[in-house]
Amino acid sequence: MKLLVCVKRVIDYNVKVRVKADNSDVDLANVKMALNPFCEIAVEEAIRLKEAGVASEVIVVSVGPKAVQEQLRTAMALGADRAIQIDTDTMPEPLDVAKLLARVVEQEQPGLVILGKQSIDSDNNQTGQMLAALTGRPQGTFAYALKVEGDKAVVTREVDGGLRTLSLQLPAIVTTDLRLNEPRYAKLPDIMKAKKKPLEVKTPADLGVELKRHIIQLKVEAPAARKAGIRVDSVDALIDKLKHEAKVI
Amino acid sequence: MSEYLHPYRDVTFALRELVDFDALCESAGLNEVNAELADAILEEAGKFGSDVWAPLNRQGDLHPPRVESDGVQETPGFADAYRSFVESGWPTLTFPESFGGQALPNVLGTAVNEIWQSANLAFGLCPLLTQGATEAILHHADEALKAIWLPKLVSGEWTGTMNLTEPNAGSDLAAITTRAVPNGDHYLITGQKIFITWGDHRMTPNIVHLVLARLPDAPAGVKGISLFIVPKFLLDEQGEPSVRNDAYCVSIEHKLGIHASPTCTMSFGDNGGAVGYLVGEPHQGLPYMFTMMNHARQSVGLQGLAISERSYQQAVAYARERVQGTTKDGRKIAIIEFPDVRRMLMQMRASIEAMRGLALLAAAETDRAKASDDEVQASRHHERIELFTPIVKGWLTELSQEVTYLGVQVHGGMGFIEETGSAQHYRDARILTIYEGTTGIQSLDLVGRKILRNQGVAINGLLDEIDDCARQLASEPEMSVLAERLSKALDAGRQATGWLLEEGARTAWAPGAVGVPFMMLMGYLCGGWVSCRMAQRAAERAASGEGDTEFLHAKVTTARFYCEHLLPRTQGLLETILSGSESVMSLPEAQF
Amino acid sequence: MSILVIAEHNNQALNPTTLSALSAAQRIGGEIDLLVAGSGCRAVADEAAKAAGVGKVLLADAQAYEHALAENLAALVVELAGRYSHILAPAGTTAKDFMPRVAALLDVGQVSEIIAVESADTFKRPIYAGNAIATVRSDDPIKVITVRASAFDPAAAEGGNAAIETLSQVCDAGSSAFVGEELVRSERPDLSAARVVISGGRGLGSGENFALLEKVADKLGAAVGASRAAVDAGFVSNDMQVGQTGKIVAPELYIAVGISGAIQHLAGMKDSKVIVAINKDEEAPIFQVADYGLVADLFEALPELEAKL
Repeated sequence: MKLLVCVKRVIDYNVKVRVKADNSDVDLANVKMALNPFCEIAVEEAIRLKEAGVASEVIVVSVGPKAVQEQLRTAMALGADRAIQIDTDTMPEPLDVAKLLARVVEQEQPGLVILGKQSIDSDNNQTGQMLAALTGRPQGTFAYALKVEGDKAVVTREVDGGLRTLSLQLPAIVTTDLRLNEPRYAKLPDIMKAKKKPLEVKTPADLGVELKRHIIQLKVEAPAARKAGIRVDSVDALIDKLKHEAKVI
Repeated sequence: MSEYLHPYRDVTFALRELVDFDALCESAGLNEVNAELADAILEEAGKFGSDVWAPLNRQGDLHPPRVESDGVQETPGFADAYRSFVESGWPTLTFPESFGGQALPNVLGTAVNEIWQSANLAFGLCPLLTQGATEAILHHADEALKAIWLPKLVSGEWTGTMNLTEPNAGSDLAAITTRAVPNGDHYLITGQKIFITWGDHRMTPNIVHLVLARLPDAPAGVKGISLFIVPKFLLDEQGEPSVRNDAYCVSIEHKLGIHASPTCTMSFGDNGGAVGYLVGEPHQGLPYMFTMMNHARQSVGLQGLAISERSYQQAVAYARERVQGTTKDGRKIAIIEFPDVRRMLMQMRASIEAMRGLALLAAAETDRAKASDDEVQASRHHERIELFTPIVKGWLTELSQEVTYLGVQVHGGMGFIEETGSAQHYRDARILTIYEGTTGIQSLDLVGRKILRNQGVAINGLLDEIDDCARQLASEPEMSVLAERLSKALDAGRQATGWLLEEGARTAWAPGAVGVPFMMLMGYLCGGWVSCRMAQRAAERAASGEGDTEFLHAKVTTARFYCEHLLPRTQGLLETILSGSESVMSLPEAQF
Repeated sequence: MSILVIAEHNNQALNPTTLSALSAAQRIGGEIDLLVAGSGCRAVADEAAKAAGVGKVLLADAQAYEHALAENLAALVVELAGRYSHILAPAGTTAKDFMPRVAALLDVGQVSEIIAVESADTFKRPIYAGNAIATVRSDDPIKVITVRASAFDPAAAEGGNAAIETLSQVCDAGSSAFVGEELVRSERPDLSAARVVISGGRGLGSGENFALLEKVADKLGAAVGASRAAVDAGFVSNDMQVGQTGKIVAPELYIAVGISGAIQHLAGMKDSKVIVAINKDEEAPIFQVADYGLVADLFEALPELEAKL
């Protein structure tokens, strides 16, 4: 079956984020960008399924401006067979991304779509689930383990209490959690070969999707600075502070 | 704790703006290669270096290799990392496609190599030496030998070593006594070599030693040395390692730094003679060594850059965190705000940017020589390679001593504590001015072979080019401070060269006595030249609104620091050179 | 404004995070209904009806909802959505799973993990792993929102008396099935990833005394770490070392017990969200970085802490 992997270009996780002085957004000017870590895990999982003979082809898709082609080439260097860039000026909201991806799903008819559970910039954790809703497919989110058994995908998910396993009727959508796998490093010959693999560019108009803003970002602030510490005079006082002030227990 | 992040933006900037990588690839007919591909390669290599090699750096320092009954056991963890390195194809980067290489340009190979050396200098020596061995075979062995030995060296499946030095033959290679005696279709090698880097380990199924030895009928001195392939394991009919050869590591050195690199005493022929295969023609060993020398020496210069970058990253991280002192309004200050700490960090930074510029520019000359349209052009680039090599090796490594010293200094007392990690970089750097030709040897090479021998034609060509740059710079108002300093340094360079060509012709020991100050002067001058060129491009880009203006302005500020703090050293060095070398040589030995 | 809050529960009892979501709903204002969807979960509905500020409890009790399958829950919520201006749920893995499905089916955006309510349509939420806080406004006719429970004090669990309305519709997509689960791994969490870490230093005096820490760790579901001094003294093995040459951790809560606070140890934990120090020596450097400092004898404080947690 075909696998579709959806990836996002985000800031490199090593970058220390700074808020712009005018509080309009985070300062992204010429900051180092990379493949979202959860998306790397999604690509790795897809490649492993291909190596296991479960998938015949891995298609990688990303929404964004031309620069996202870098991440698509990285995914192809890791083993994806071809790529699709859906060209937009800026990064659309999850619902719009899901709508665009839904059209690609209609066209490509993959048996499984794998996405990262969330991107480390917006931390929304929505796109995979929205895509599942729009395509009427079952979802297995926060995957810790994935197995394809006949016409089912068996997904073990990380949940608050521990692990939960679901069996999904294919075609299905899976989103990856951190412990699903450890992504491989790209090999030099593959980085060079990736240049020649097919990369198609589509527009929202090609896909018949109109983009629309639902959530408006009004401002962005730095989190509250660490305040000076205080002394507590008893264990009771400590527990009280931890429960009610810091809210960590 | 020492972490390493690839300075991706600085490297890609230098490749584009200083080296003009796209134009280089075009002129070399490399249609598939460009800056975009270089970016992708550097990004992946950077990740690999940071994630896989860098965490093992301290490990290697604390758990050096050991000689055991069946050979050397390298630092735990290295074997897995090396295997991953080979599987990812990194060793093949610059080698010819006919032997499994990717045939990518030397300058890109150099940029990638900076990552391995920064991430883990001791570990990085392994592929470095392997490259030397591979090049020796590639350039000088016959087709039959190449077919047998190259593929696995190119892939990195086997590693290689260079066996030149002996107890009585270090700087003076002519004094070697290792013997090679003909024996049917091969030779039997007997002798002892010392200071053999990565002479033994168990990361790979075979190790290919390149050994200098004398044939029975060899002429005396430099003209009687031949080069041999002496593998750790002889090959069976399928070309697989089988029988153990009579070549053993009998001890490893306990060193000041690069602990994880096994520095071996190799004994060949303790049990009758080690099987060896002659590379190329008899008695051509030293000329063959010379063809690889440029690359080997430039690689060590690159190591100077790499260890400096590592030390710098750690110093900056510390200076940002370490809080000492309070302002009048009660705010705590991180030491990065102290002027003296700033000065030290700026000096490290300015040195590194200049070093990187020069290392890449020099490396690109190899590509330009290859891509040349005709003999004249090619020989000009070869001449430039010859000139740059001692400067890159000598100056970058000497400067790295100061940079790693500053790295420790920024840390204060914590820098002297091993656990902090800065001390390791300081110790690791110490070998760089010594091996692959000491600073003194580099300076003799520069003043003797590379300047006096051609009556200064090559160096004057370089100085003229720097002159053009300075004039161009002077016409831009923003660059005038830099231009003035560069011109002054250039003037010192011209005066020093003039003195050398006169005095050098007259006094036998003059080149040797002032060689090092002369080489350092040229180093600072070339460093200033590349810094100014990069600053100029940065200013142009910033002015046209392209790119990250803060990053670009930082380039200009750093170049200005270089011009104001490092370029002035050329004046002092000039004075030393012009004062003649009587005070160097005239003290009788008995007085020491 | 009318708000539907979707309860988080395990079919037996209400999860307190629901009360935090309820509190967020109260900040928005308007009528609030609570949805309890599960199987055999009447008791949860009863509990929910007692919470302050709840207008009505909707009970959807069917096998299809037993394991909170996203396809089924989302379909149910979408059927109910028409009457509401806001749909809220506490941001546990259940809601994170099904709520975006609801939003997409309603063709609206979702505001994930709000930490503050500015107005009926404007909220604050963390982005870039909490390194920045965004203020966003939803322009959708129905606002679908997940709530970070730790940011809202729970609404009162008593004082309400809401009616319980049993829903008849059963949404069963039949495309997914529950296979099994493994709840609460019994081993202590991994030091590098634990939400809470409690570390001991030389002050513990011996390896045996680390048992005092372990008891507190058990109560908190925490990992146990140690300073280099404790490791060097042979109290514990070096894989527990937190510090410059040990592990670097950044938990929500770091409790340093009997640790003086040498710079090498600080390097390993200074990015923890909340730092607590318990030390006999009031001059110990650790108090400079602690958010809460308790000057006390750890041999008294630890057992007391364990007992009172």
